[in-house]
Amino acid sequence: MTKSRKEIIGIKSVSKIYNLGNTVVKALDNVSLSIFENDFISIMGPSGSGKSTLMNIIGCLDVPTKGSYKFNDEKISQMKDSQLADIRNQKIGFVFQTFNLLPKLNALQNVEVPLVYSNLNRYKRTEKAKEALKIVGLSNRINHKPNELSGGQRQRVAIARALVNNPSIILADEPTGNLDSKSGSEILNFFDDLHKAGNTLIIVTHEKTVAKRAKRRIEIFDGKITLDE
Amino acid sequence: MNKLFKNISIGFESIKSNFTRVFLTSIGLTIGIFTVSIVTAAVSSIDKEFAKSIQSIGNDKIYVGRMPWSFEFDWWNYRNRPEIKEEQLEYINQYSEFITQSSMKQNYWTRASYENKASWLQMNGVYPNYGEMLTGTKVINGRFFSENEWKLQRRVIIVGGSVREGFFEGKSPLGKKIRLGGVSFEIIGELEKTGSFTPTGSLDQVIIMPSTTFQRILTRWTWNEFVLQTSPNNINKAKEEVRLIMRVARKLKPEQEDNFAVNSADAFTKQFNQMKIAIAGMGLLVTGISLIVSGIGIMNVMFVSVRERTKEIGLRKAMGATNTDILIQFLSEAIAIAIIGGIAGIMLIRSTLYFLGTAIASFDFGGIEASSIDLQMDLLLTFYTFLVCVFLGLLAGFVPARTAANLNPIDALRHE
Repeated sequence: MTKSRKEIIGIKSVSKIYNLGNTVVKALDNVSLSIFENDFISIMGPSGSGKSTLMNIIGCLDVPTKGSYKFNDEKISQMKDSQLADIRNQKIGFVFQTFNLLPKLNALQNVEVPLVYSNLNRYKRTEKAKEALKIVGLSNRINHKPNELSGGQRQRVAIARALVNNPSIILADEPTGNLDSKSGSEILNFFDDLHKAGNTLIIVTHEKTVAKRAKRRIEIFDGKITLDE
Repeated sequence: MNKLFKNISIGFESIKSNFTRVFLTSIGLTIGIFTVSIVTAAVSSIDKEFAKSIQSIGNDKIYVGRMPWSFEFDWWNYRNRPEIKEEQLEYINQYSEFITQSSMKQNYWTRASYENKASWLQMNGVYPNYGEMLTGTKVINGRFFSENEWKLQRRVIIVGGSVREGFFEGKSPLGKKIRLGGVSFEIIGELEKTGSFTPTGSLDQVIIMPSTTFQRILTRWTWNEFVLQTSPNNINKAKEEVRLIMRVARKLKPEQEDNFAVNSADAFTKQFNQMKIAIAGMGLLVTGISLIVSGIGIMNVMFVSVRERTKEIGLRKAMGATNTDILIQFLSEAIAIAIIGGIAGIMLIRSTLYFLGTAIASFDFGGIEASSIDLQMDLLLTFYTFLVCVFLGLLAGFVPARTAANLNPIDALRHE
């Protein structure tokens, strides 16, 4: 965690406040956080701690109520919807707990989804998606539909989808939550490999064993960062 | 552009997975497209039929009779009017500037028979010059009767186009004798078949004879008209002139209303157009209602589709789809549903017209000929149908598609 590395994400005194009728919920309370290139971070916290909100803001799915958020020196907090969509498409790869593959599409088509919104033609899309599936070791499963794949394989398709646009960061929300321990550790080993290959990874989890794999651990409670080591 | 096409194809592809639902939804539109096309085809074939009738009445002729030509069933207003008499025609001939030729035309329906066949035909008793005034049809076989035959009250007749088929099995009727009300007449001429209707009946079912002969054998009540020839440009002036001459001839006082009617094709056209507008209006109303109903149906199905695919929308947005991408995807789906309905409608019309055409060709509907009912569905109409479908799809799909586009990706992803 040397300061010489490039800062990708700069969050400064960010708050997210929800108005639920007559009660005001502070999901994030004056949080500041810097994430650098090739970081491998785990974010831990009990449910309701604000970790999902932080994750959504990092992932540009949501904008903060207060504070500033810079992504590669671009001010995210002032962007329009279509610009946010562009950042999500080009700079961020999402991995979800429930995989979120489209059931009617095969593995290749699922990996192609982000490329569609990058406005690539069909040949480029197929080429890049095949490459990504090769990285996750599923070259022999490209025509399989999600229901023809095991849980671990599905998650690897989802990771291929996250990788396909060469994003600046990969955001994984409980990536092993729906997997048995064997495929779970397989996926985590794969994250290690990605980290060694120079990718920036953020994993949101509530499992200590998962969190320990990360090089930098962040704990969050009641909307505040309580640990960053 | 790659993205645009892909968005459209994603929308189209979602149709495949729910085809039954889509098909049932589009039936409303199918019916709408079907009615509008049938009405259009009907109006246009009525139009063609009417143009023929107008031709046989002639746009350069004035008909003076007891009753105005009308589709309204109000003959009782005119039943006490005096009969049209030949003496009054002499007034017109003497005083009119615009009338170049004139003829009496006495009408009577009678039973005509040949050997063991019989039919009701309309007899017209006319002057020799009536032959020159025939419009829309001409003597194609034989000749009209002469001045001498008229003076001598000869029993010679010119028959309408349907008589050949009716009595002579398609052979020439010239020289044959048929009986009209018990009296034998010789056929000296035959009219071209027109297949048209006029307010005074079909020209195909007419028998023309000298008015002198007509009066000799028929002393009973007849229905009389004057047929007056003028030029198309003078028709209105001529009508007014004839009206005034008739008033003088009938010695009507200024305060008295006309007790006769001066008719011409244009009055008939006006009434016909009103009827046509009524038919088209009803058709449009029915179509409009079915289009609205089917639009609501499409909208409903689109809302269901958006709801079912909320999670997919969330995922696509997380992967970088903009609101516009999602909007286009769902609009394409709605348009595809509408187009499916439209295509089904066009196919339904095409097959209906085909069977209708075959049916008309194989049955004989009185005076109507198969060829005269020209139900057509041209390319332009197909194109308009397509446009209507795209427009309706856009309209019905807009609100659901915008709902989808504006979904918050976080909530949408969490949706189960």
